[in-house]
Amino acid sequence: MFPRVSAILPLRPLSRFPLCSGGSEAAIVLLGAPHGTVRTKNNVQRNFGTNSVNYSKKDEQSAPTHGISKETESQESVKENTKKDLLDIIKGMKIELSTVNVQTTKPSSRRQRKSVEATIGSLQKTLEDAPKKRTKSVSPELEAAASAVADFLRFDKQTTKSELLRQLQQHEEVSKTQKDGERTKISVSNIISDMKVAKSATGRVSTRPVHQIQFDEGTDSLMGQKTDDLKKSLRKNMLKGKRLNIFYLKTVTEEAPKTETAPSLWDVEFAKQLAMVNEQPLQNGFAEMIQWTKEGKLWEFPIDNEAGFDDDGSEFHEHVFLDKHLKDFPKQGPIRHFMELVTCGLSKNPYLSVKQKIEHIEWFRNYFNEKQDILKESGIRLN
Amino acid sequence: MAAVAARRWLRFRCKVCLTLTGQRAGPCGQAPNCRFYSGSATVPKVERANVTGIEEVVIPRKKTWDKVAVLQALASTVNRDTTAAPYAFQDDPYLIPTSSLESRSFLLAKKSGENAAKYIINSHPKYFQKDIAEPHIPCLMPEYFEPQIEDISEAALRERIKLKKVKASVDMFDQLLQAGTTVSLETSNSLLDLLCYYGDKEPSTDNHFQQSEKSEELEEAAEENNEKPKKANHQFGNLWRPENNAERIFALMPEKNSHSYCTMIRGMVKHRALVQALNLYTELLNNKLHADVYTFNALIEATALSAHEKPEDKWNNILELLKQMAAQKVKPNLQTFNTILKCLRRFHAFGKVPALQTFREMKAIGIEPSLATYHYLIQLFYHHENHSKGSSLIIYDIMNELTGRKFSPRDPDDDMFFQSAMRVCSFLRDLELAYQVHGLLNTGDNWKFIGPDHRRNFYYSKFFSLLCLMEQIDVTLKWYKDLIPSVFFPRSQTLIDLLQALDVANRLEVIPQIWKDSKEYGHTFRSDLKEEILMLMARDQHPPELQVAFANCAADIKSTYESQDGRQAAPEWPANSLNSIAVLFLRAGRTQEAWKMLGLFKKHNKIPGNKLLNEFMDSAKASSSPAQAIEIVKLAGTFSLPICEDLARRVMADFAISQEQKEALGNLTSLTTDSDSDSDTSEGK
Repeated sequence: MFPRVSAILPLRPLSRFPLCSGGSEAAIVLLGAPHGTVRTKNNVQRNFGTNSVNYSKKDEQSAPTHGISKETESQESVKENTKKDLLDIIKGMKIELSTVNVQTTKPSSRRQRKSVEATIGSLQKTLEDAPKKRTKSVSPELEAAASAVADFLRFDKQTTKSELLRQLQQHEEVSKTQKDGERTKISVSNIISDMKVAKSATGRVSTRPVHQIQFDEGTDSLMGQKTDDLKKSLRKNMLKGKRLNIFYLKTVTEEAPKTETAPSLWDVEFAKQLAMVNEQPLQNGFAEMIQWTKEGKLWEFPIDNEAGFDDDGSEFHEHVFLDKHLKDFPKQGPIRHFMELVTCGLSKNPYLSVKQKIEHIEWFRNYFNEKQDILKESGIRLN
Repeated sequence: MAAVAARRWLRFRCKVCLTLTGQRAGPCGQAPNCRFYSGSATVPKVERANVTGIEEVVIPRKKTWDKVAVLQALASTVNRDTTAAPYAFQDDPYLIPTSSLESRSFLLAKKSGENAAKYIINSHPKYFQKDIAEPHIPCLMPEYFEPQIEDISEAALRERIKLKKVKASVDMFDQLLQAGTTVSLETSNSLLDLLCYYGDKEPSTDNHFQQSEKSEELEEAAEENNEKPKKANHQFGNLWRPENNAERIFALMPEKNSHSYCTMIRGMVKHRALVQALNLYTELLNNKLHADVYTFNALIEATALSAHEKPEDKWNNILELLKQMAAQKVKPNLQTFNTILKCLRRFHAFGKVPALQTFREMKAIGIEPSLATYHYLIQLFYHHENHSKGSSLIIYDIMNELTGRKFSPRDPDDDMFFQSAMRVCSFLRDLELAYQVHGLLNTGDNWKFIGPDHRRNFYYSKFFSLLCLMEQIDVTLKWYKDLIPSVFFPRSQTLIDLLQALDVANRLEVIPQIWKDSKEYGHTFRSDLKEEILMLMARDQHPPELQVAFANCAADIKSTYESQDGRQAAPEWPANSLNSIAVLFLRAGRTQEAWKMLGLFKKHNKIPGNKLLNEFMDSAKASSSPAQAIEIVKLAGTFSLPICEDLARRVMADFAISQEQKEALGNLTSLTTDSDSDSDTSEGK
């Protein structure tokens, strides 16, 4: 059973990841998760998702319409208090999440700040929602949740679990006596900060503070880290190490004078073998048509207007733009006019090759040259 | 909000238009080769573009399209249909294969039909002269394999070489020689090529399927790796015979260049005349000629294959050859290194360090490894699967290297990689890695490297078994739907793995569906599969609806056993299956059929289990029929089971029975207590 569990666990955070739009939110989701059943954890996620989306939408709308922007402003001020509370909590947690710190200490970009606020607001809501559920909830449920959290942490299962449970018991008592939201908030922050202490006591976090962020990304399992380390050490082995040192890059890359020889039987057969390597049964009818086209059994599917039109590789512009062949003709006058009509007709003629078209123009040139005397008589100048 | 969005969109579109028209305006000014078919629409905007001052426009190069570009684009829109057999198998519905065996014979039949037709056309070209197709289709016309030049000349020899007529070419060469004409060096070399490549035998007809079958046997032999002489026979059906035509012609040639030597060496290595090949190389060196890279590759192979030498010596010889290559300024290629790695596989543990060094050398001089390279490395490092402790982790490294890459075929062994990578995943029980490998397989056109049918089946069986073992059941079932039957047909072991996964996840309600599928995929008569299914269904009590479904399934399985009876002479009814089917009938309330099953126990001389008898007793109690209860006790009595006494006691306690029946019971129990001692040993359950 154990490998099954370990295989599932790292997947969970991954599946959660796309729901939140930033690393900071992910962190809060996780920290919000420890107190509550697994189900409430899901709620938290959903709130995050929708809230941040709402906010971004409003943000966009605020540009064209002033009324809404005002509204958001007022909302902002309402959130101000809750925001402060949560900032305190976050600071209490002492998490060196660089993204969170950057966003909270210097709110340079409005949008970022808003997204943080959004998450804070929703977290606040869920924090307030959660205790109501919890007052009803029975201890086995809590215990299950706590152990799930402890499983999830995996740093020190037993201590985390007992720590959580103790806190939860305490919390339950408190919430029973006093159903005031303010009080619960404090206890929540206690839980969170205490949880943090328990975690850092294991020593792993203190040695590698950077990996606290990994806590969000789900590569937190001990086994994963171990194999990661091993992989890293091995990576050195595979790519960096002694080589044969027989060949040198320079001698290999320099171009040898190539003697042009026909491919021998060996080359041909090797090429055939290679072609067979990735020969696979056809995947669909189009693939079959491709094969037939290549075998010559099928008429080529037209890919442009020149399908089946083979004119010694001449391009369409050579067919259409024939003005350049009129250089020797007069720049104006009836002959020019006539020749322009000729080229216009030729450019629309799909049945003649480029060579034939040029020959046609050539013929007219000769013709007019021959008839030069007549032209002179009628006062038309050729050249 | 909608209005805003619309306005925005409009503005965006305007921008697009502007840039577009800008582009269009650019080439007009510079080069006149542009069509104005949509000119009227663009004209006003062009002005505006000039006003706003669009920046420099880069004229795109003309694109040359492949002639099948449209078809390729269309083909890329068609995805795999997960509910159907692969496209290659789509045919008359009756013929669509439903198991891997059938699919294989389907492909073979199709191919052999094609080959037969081709053979007939080519061997009787005179009957196929009518050109039906307009325009003419050359590939449908008969090919001429008979030499057309009749007289004795070098041209005739060249034609025979081109047609790969080994014997005719040799005869022609001899005739030419007798007539006193000297054959040019080029022609003699190509004759040598022909002789060396085919080992002085007529080439077999070009039949891909035959070849793949051969390589499959090879594969199996390589996997087992215990029957080397047999393998050699398979692979090199025609060994190099000393004094064959190639050697004779080589000796007769008045002048020889390095190509003559090289082709001889390659031929010798190909047909396993290793010692001769190495000797000929010395001769080549003595004649102050140089070998080419392919010859060196062959020589490396010869060195590694030569018998009666320690791995260390062989490795030193290979290094020596490489140094000679460097000295002769011969550039190594991919095949050089692949050959080395391929050969290092034979050295097992010794090969690991040299293999890594070779790999690094390859990287260092800028030769990109192919999939086959990695395949050899994997094979070398995961040779013995039983070393679970000290297993190497090189696969992670390899996968890090490869993830996201696209490959083109560069080595004949490139199609082995995915199979061996998945084998390692399954051996390491690493699902994450398996997903990584599978992701690589689905990158670009990499799926084409999965190899022939049997290799694809191997890959997917391993992958799916790993999924069954490690993945959540819902995900596994999703994969099941996705992969089967459109990618591969499961083996019975694969299905058993799935059943076990279902058992672990407590999703037994899917079992009837699995049974239906397995019937479809040709596992109707797999008794291990059937027993597993029955055992899982009968093990626990379930809600009534599920029990009904299970009973239906059990009835279906029962019918397969019965039809098998008709098919085969020896009926095989495992006791477990009988027990399970009877229990399932009982639980679904199909008492009649359950009693019939009890009759089958007698018929097949099998013993019902205690649990079954107890369940029968429960059902008798539920229907409060003492007669049935006594019948059960009687049955237990006839099998002389030790449980008989307990049953009798239960009947006494639970049922209202007449005096007569009581007596009968008394008789039965006394009977059984006598034979208790020997029935103890016979009762295994």
